[in-house]
Amino acid sequence: MPPLRRLGGGGLGWGPLARRLPFTAALLLWAMGFPACAADHVVSLNLCTDQMLLLLAPEKIAALSPLSRDPALSVVAPQAAHLPVVQASAEAVLRLHPDLILAAPFGAQATLALLAQEGLPVLRIDLPADFTGIRQQTRALANALGVPERGEALLAAMDATLAALPHRDHAPHAVAWEPRGLTAGPGSLMDAVMRAAGLINASDGGHMGLEALLQHPPDLLIVPATPEFPSLATALLDHPALAALRRRAIPPALTICAGPFTAQAAVMLAQ
Amino acid sequence: MIRRLALLLALLFAASLLIGDGIVALPHGIILAQVRLPRTLLGVMVGGGLGLSGAVLQGALRNPLADPGLLGITGTAGLGAVIAFYWGLAAHFAPALPIGGLLGAAIGAGFLLGFAGRAPSGPSLILAGVAVSAIAAALLALALTLAPNPFALAEITFWLMGGLGDRTLSQVALAALPILLGGAILLRLGPGLDALSLGEDTARSLGVPVSRTLHQAAMGTALAVGAGASVAGAIGFIGLVVPHLLRPWFGERPGALLLPAPLAGAALLLVADMLVRLAPLVLPMSAAPPVGVLTALLGAPFLVAIARRAAP
Repeated sequence: MPPLRRLGGGGLGWGPLARRLPFTAALLLWAMGFPACAADHVVSLNLCTDQMLLLLAPEKIAALSPLSRDPALSVVAPQAAHLPVVQASAEAVLRLHPDLILAAPFGAQATLALLAQEGLPVLRIDLPADFTGIRQQTRALANALGVPERGEALLAAMDATLAALPHRDHAPHAVAWEPRGLTAGPGSLMDAVMRAAGLINASDGGHMGLEALLQHPPDLLIVPATPEFPSLATALLDHPALAALRRRAIPPALTICAGPFTAQAAVMLAQ
Repeated sequence: MIRRLALLLALLFAASLLIGDGIVALPHGIILAQVRLPRTLLGVMVGGGLGLSGAVLQGALRNPLADPGLLGITGTAGLGAVIAFYWGLAAHFAPALPIGGLLGAAIGAGFLLGFAGRAPSGPSLILAGVAVSAIAAALLALALTLAPNPFALAEITFWLMGGLGDRTLSQVALAALPILLGGAILLRLGPGLDALSLGEDTARSLGVPVSRTLHQAAMGTALAVGAGASVAGAIGFIGLVVPHLLRPWFGERPGALLLPAPLAGAALLLVADMLVRLAPLVLPMSAAPPVGVLTALLGAPFLVAIARRAAP
């Protein structure tokens, strides 16, 4: 969900490092001395690493996080439904005897520290905010899992999808409006998706209320697809005052985590 | 006096249409018709229902602290609405939202009526109301924790404090019928309430059907408050404050307050709502706070003042 993504952008310690060193993940692998193809019993504790692990090396999965099964959040939910899941607790993870643990820059800090203390290799990935970052991360993870050719195949498909996006002569202005009036500003993954789809992001990333949005209506309103169960925050996205605006609903799973699948969001926006 | 109050309400209604979220200007058509009009209409309806219910409850229970919020009726109404909303009932059948609010309010009012029958003393009734409010708030938090949408729990402020922002005309329409019906029931209770102010036995000797009057007061309150709370949350203190503000002008007789109370309640809520909408202009905040924050901030000291005056 958006709060998750915002947290990711915040960078709790790892973000700044990643910005300075674009190849953080690869560098980490090198620093930790992972030989290629060392890991074949991998636990993922984060929704984003869940999806990358399942796309790259499903046969090496020891367990995924429970969120991987949520179709509203995960693009691999149907496949994950048949795979084991584990909560981010040190005890449960140790019982699986993994030889690699994948995690995100935030969350489960204490658990991960404990696992690292037990001598288990923990790989924390950063959350890319554009397609260049997705390419770097996919390659780094594919190498760590010993399946570089699968990484290249995923990226080739992604780049083919992006290259096939139609060119626009007149770029429409768009606002990506999220529950509670948050908007996606420059530097966010959605901003990269909008640029890839030939849209101009009309928001600076601040809060935008219903009235502010209607005061300067964009050519296109981008909203997350309506969830199965309502809340006031998500119901606001369907307020009748917005009925006249052209809108495109994007499944949140495509942009919560950045991955080769994120290109699909650009395809949906370009249509 | 009533005319002046009505004129004031009309002026506030117009002003409310001019004031947006941190903006003061006549907006274009869609904002006016779809954002500010529902907000203003809802303020009038909810404020009116709360003001009238407060006047009736203070008269019927002969208690200057009686208020649908303090007695827990708006709390149980919000709980009913939350259950109808977050599990998708209202998405499939829109009237489920006000019906949830009405059922919740009816349960709260019914409990109170039963309690008032056994322990009619003022303070104990308010304490029972506090208990009902606490249970309703706890169950509300529990329901929002269990709700399947990840944003639900963050919305607890809206339900506990109440707000008028970003509502739709269809929600206004859904709440209108029960509020008007409840108002019609409550407005006819004047003579009964006047007699009750002399005590239940005297009222009975005057030929007033006491228990029917109390039942109608409870039912009318549930209708006037329940549907409002289902679309605007538990806005507090309007019902408590309004009768006290009106007594210096309209006298102590409960029946004399019934007509001005909804007008004053509506006016008070509109003023509070305009103030919170202007708050982002002067305070460092990105969005207007829910109006219930302000009614509580203004109303709670009022409650202290009434309690001090009532203390021996």
